[in-house]
Amino acid sequence: MKFGKFLMTTAALAFSATTAFAGADIFVIGGKPDDPFWSRVKMGAEDAGKVAEAQGGSVTWLGPQNYDNLGPDAAELIRQAIDQGADAIVGPDWVPEAMDPAFEAVVAAGIPLVIYNAGGIEAADRLGAMNYVGAVDYKSGHAAGVYLAKAGNKNGACVNTLPGAANIEAFCNGFNDGLVAGGGTGSTLQLPATSFGDSTAVAQAVRAHVLQNPEIDAMFAIGDQDTNAAISGIQQAGKAGSVAVCGMNFNDSILANIKAGTQACAIDQQGYQQGFFAVSILNNHVMYGTTIPTREILTGPGVVDASNVDLVIAGVEAGAR
Amino acid sequence: MSSNSTSSRSRLSLGRLLRLPETGSFIGFVVVYIFFAILGGAVFVGAPGWSSWLNIAAEVGIIALPVGLLMIAGEFDISVGSIVPASSMTVAMLSGHYDLPAAIGILGGLSVGVLIGFVNGLLVTRTTIPSLIVTIGVMFAVMGLTLGFAVLLKGSTSVSYVPHPTAKYLLGQFINYMFNVTILWWLGFAALFFYILHISPLGNWIFALGGDRESARNAGIPTSKVTIGLFMASGFCAAFVGVAQVMTYQQAQVAGGQAFIFNSIMCVVIGGVLLTGGAGSIIGILLGTMTFAVVNQGVFFASLDPNAGSIIVGALLLVAVLSNDSFRKLAISAAAKKS
Repeated sequence: MKFGKFLMTTAALAFSATTAFAGADIFVIGGKPDDPFWSRVKMGAEDAGKVAEAQGGSVTWLGPQNYDNLGPDAAELIRQAIDQGADAIVGPDWVPEAMDPAFEAVVAAGIPLVIYNAGGIEAADRLGAMNYVGAVDYKSGHAAGVYLAKAGNKNGACVNTLPGAANIEAFCNGFNDGLVAGGGTGSTLQLPATSFGDSTAVAQAVRAHVLQNPEIDAMFAIGDQDTNAAISGIQQAGKAGSVAVCGMNFNDSILANIKAGTQACAIDQQGYQQGFFAVSILNNHVMYGTTIPTREILTGPGVVDASNVDLVIAGVEAGAR
Repeated sequence: MSSNSTSSRSRLSLGRLLRLPETGSFIGFVVVYIFFAILGGAVFVGAPGWSSWLNIAAEVGIIALPVGLLMIAGEFDISVGSIVPASSMTVAMLSGHYDLPAAIGILGGLSVGVLIGFVNGLLVTRTTIPSLIVTIGVMFAVMGLTLGFAVLLKGSTSVSYVPHPTAKYLLGQFINYMFNVTILWWLGFAALFFYILHISPLGNWIFALGGDRESARNAGIPTSKVTIGLFMASGFCAAFVGVAQVMTYQQAQVAGGQAFIFNSIMCVVIGGVLLTGGAGSIIGILLGTMTFAVVNQGVFFASLDPNAGSIIVGALLLVAVLSNDSFRKLAISAAAKKS
């Protein structure tokens, strides 16, 4: 055991000694590698890392074992990256209270930092990071609203199955504002919290709502399961085709629905791009001193609809979407 | 009025007498329905309204029937809340992820429920731990196992599945685009459980179990077998709802189903089943389920704040228990006068 550990440390030391001056060693803090969303982010980071590797650098993924103690665990990973001699660090600001001191230590050590996935440009500004790469909940909803308004739907409702959750409220506010921007009106259908995860309850609520409010011709659901339930509710109300549905995120059955035309669009935060651009920005900065003056690099929302669904399906097979 | 009809019925038999709370449940249902019919208007009274609350009633009703039987026998089953997602996950995993025939997926999903019910029954009969605690423990264990297996095998907390047309036709279609086929299954289950509780000798055993377990055993009733059987029935029914949900919504998720725990107990109690066991009826459970579903869906048609629905259900539960008690007292005093 001990001997093995010794070997590994010497190997790691030898490795870092040979590469430290050649290229940029970039450390990326992210979610569990077996988490479906984070596996796409990781793939993006590693694809961008191929350039770093060609230059003699490296990309190292640091993820927690589980999400039970997320803030402190992630802060620990950030400090590990500093200790391992990172030339640049990418990290999400999931729990600012626990993680901000670690990010401040990165900046204090003079290591270039990019915040991605969570925290927004506010976190990047607060911490002195170079940039923020990620999606914004409000804009995801907004994109769906604008998309449906453009398609001729003028009266929308956002199905909120988690009243009180800040990110869900941001989805719904964005959706309603997006509809208004496109010349329509929006409202929110608040469901009791007990209906979360209960497809039948969501479907029947949606159905009652569209029957009682016949002027509604567009709906937005906050997740893939709710989207399937909302579509079922609309079909049961006999309004398939006259009420268009968009939803957050997608899976195989949602892509099939988009292809079949029963769902208008799905909104994706495009995790692959978060890893890809964060690593690219830092690698180019460390190697050549370049900067990206555009603050807040938005990787989402991406709209999946009938026009690009085949490409998305190919992307799913490749593991990038 | 009602005391009149109750006293004329009480002449028939003591068994009838015990089932008197049905009258209270029926009045409750009518009052609630009229209330929402006035607020909800033509749409609620029409076919769209009926199918809307019947769809809700069917799913919770299929679970409420065996949960009611267990409660009559003096037991609780909380684990139904985790059996629903466990079984739907099993179906989606077998038939969706591994592309096995739908029949194998369905069989797998149902077996999961029966197995969990069997474990519940064993633990309750072999130990002295109350069933409330046993089934809470089992619920958490099943929840953890479902999550663990899902992440291990699929690497995801949700699995999608496009069902075979025959399976969808039998378990997940909407008749006339409105009425979920589970409504028919619910009626079938109700007929079956009606036979078990009110016609077959097993029914008397179940009532006896809830009345006095010790005397029941002394009277030669195989109490352990009956209890284990009842837990397996509730596991099967919860799993059935899980299977039907996958067929309907083409997706399974590890979370969800928790709402069925309290909803099923609510339906049973509103339907006049005595929380301490020994009294209740299938008709009462059906009426309780319908009342619950009308309130649940009525709020959306009446354009009330959905939270108002929860308040009404809560108030209804208290009123139901109070009125059932007074109906029971009324009935017992009427019987006492006769003798």
